[in-house]
Amino acid sequence: MSAEEKALVDRCRQGEDDAWRLFVDQFGQKVYSVAYHFTLNREDAEELSQEIFLKTFENLHRYDGTFPLVAWLLSLSRNLCIDRYRRRKRERSFRFVSDDAVAPLLKSDDDPAAEALKKERSKILFSVLAEIPEDLAEILVLRDLDGLAYDEIGKALDLPDGTVKSRLFRARAEVARRIRERHERRGSAGAFQALAVAAGGVL
Amino acid sequence: MTCSELERLFASGASSEDARRHRDACATCRATGADADVAEEIAATLRAPEMPSSLRASLIDIPRRTVSCEGAERLLPLAVENELLEDDERRLSSHLSRCGGCSEAAATLLAVRDLAEPIAPPWLAGRLAVARPEKRRRSLGWLFGPKSVIVVAYGAAVVVMLLGFNPADLARRVGSGELGQSTRAAVLVAESSITDRLGALQEKVARTLAVWKGHAGGYGRAAVSNVVSLIWKTSGSKQREVERPRNRDGRGALRERETTTTSWRV
Repeated sequence: MSAEEKALVDRCRQGEDDAWRLFVDQFGQKVYSVAYHFTLNREDAEELSQEIFLKTFENLHRYDGTFPLVAWLLSLSRNLCIDRYRRRKRERSFRFVSDDAVAPLLKSDDDPAAEALKKERSKILFSVLAEIPEDLAEILVLRDLDGLAYDEIGKALDLPDGTVKSRLFRARAEVARRIRERHERRGSAGAFQALAVAAGGVL
Repeated sequence: MTCSELERLFASGASSEDARRHRDACATCRATGADADVAEEIAATLRAPEMPSSLRASLIDIPRRTVSCEGAERLLPLAVENELLEDDERRLSSHLSRCGGCSEAAATLLAVRDLAEPIAPPWLAGRLAVARPEKRRRSLGWLFGPKSVIVVAYGAAVVVMLLGFNPADLARRVGSGELGQSTRAAVLVAESSITDRLGALQEKVARTLAVWKGHAGGYGRAAVSNVVSLIWKTSGSKQREVERPRNRDGRGALRERETTTTSWRV
């Protein structure tokens, strides 16, 4: 797989337009998804995606094919995301997630009540992600929202697979615990139970 | 009360059956596991947002908007020579705005170009115009100076002698008529010239040796004189010491005046 990806990168380096188009089609959606989950804003996500791909194109010679291209893309763009969005915009946007921000993330549903519930649930999720430690939130987003494999996350963040899984477990538990506590403080434990049932959880 | 067994099982990739068995047995992990399941389910209901088609088109266009670091390496030499096409200049500029390494390289190269074109002070042109012909004459003139001619002549004579050419033998051959008339005349001229030169050289060497002999003789005489004086001084003191009158106490100590006088004599 990496050999094929290395060949694709080499063709891009030689200036083949078809190869670069294939590269964009193969990884554009993934990068945009990562960018959107970082920013929760369409314009910012597009801008960030542009920056990530510009950086990628300019640094193609650094890819040696030793690990998956997605992981390399992620590691290359990670500092960019952190520098430009995490410390400033992400925290702010995650604490006050708007309906518009989560709307592109929701699958369409014929039932308006279910649609509203999903929207509310997504907003709570991102709000809690802003509260938990960064290293936990990052793993959860990359795995559960972006759908990256454990080894891709491990290579991108330079972590062993066991550490990735351990952090993921703690991140999920921490997020769920905080959601429950938030609802209990408001005296709406029943709402959380309904949320859990709707999500298919076991409570 | 805490238990991290469920987390350990998850991290180690244990089967879901093992995890389920532990959750059934441990109340803490049952609650934690349920929380984790809820969070996972919530996240799973979300989807990745669709990438806009305008963004895709823009991403595909990137090679026409910038260059890679490798491309920058190829364009920078042209940039230094101001020979970049307009498109390439824009792409390179876009790259330099994001790449610290290439930007530094470009700045250094451009700085070198500036160093190669110093602004001459106004007085320099006139000074160079005056200095140039004199410098040229001086550089070639030494070849034709009298010293050079003498050096070349001496060098040639030494080479001829080293090769085994004997002027006396040549003279003998000239005398015995073994050579043609014109050759003989040329040989005679050369012989007289070489003889004169060698004679002059011999005379000069003899004079130099005489001078150095004189110097050496002078230095030698002075050195011998000093040594003799030193010996004479030492032996004279002893002699006087022996001949001097004894003190009244008979221990032979010199009087102050006598010692001084002896020193002065030497």
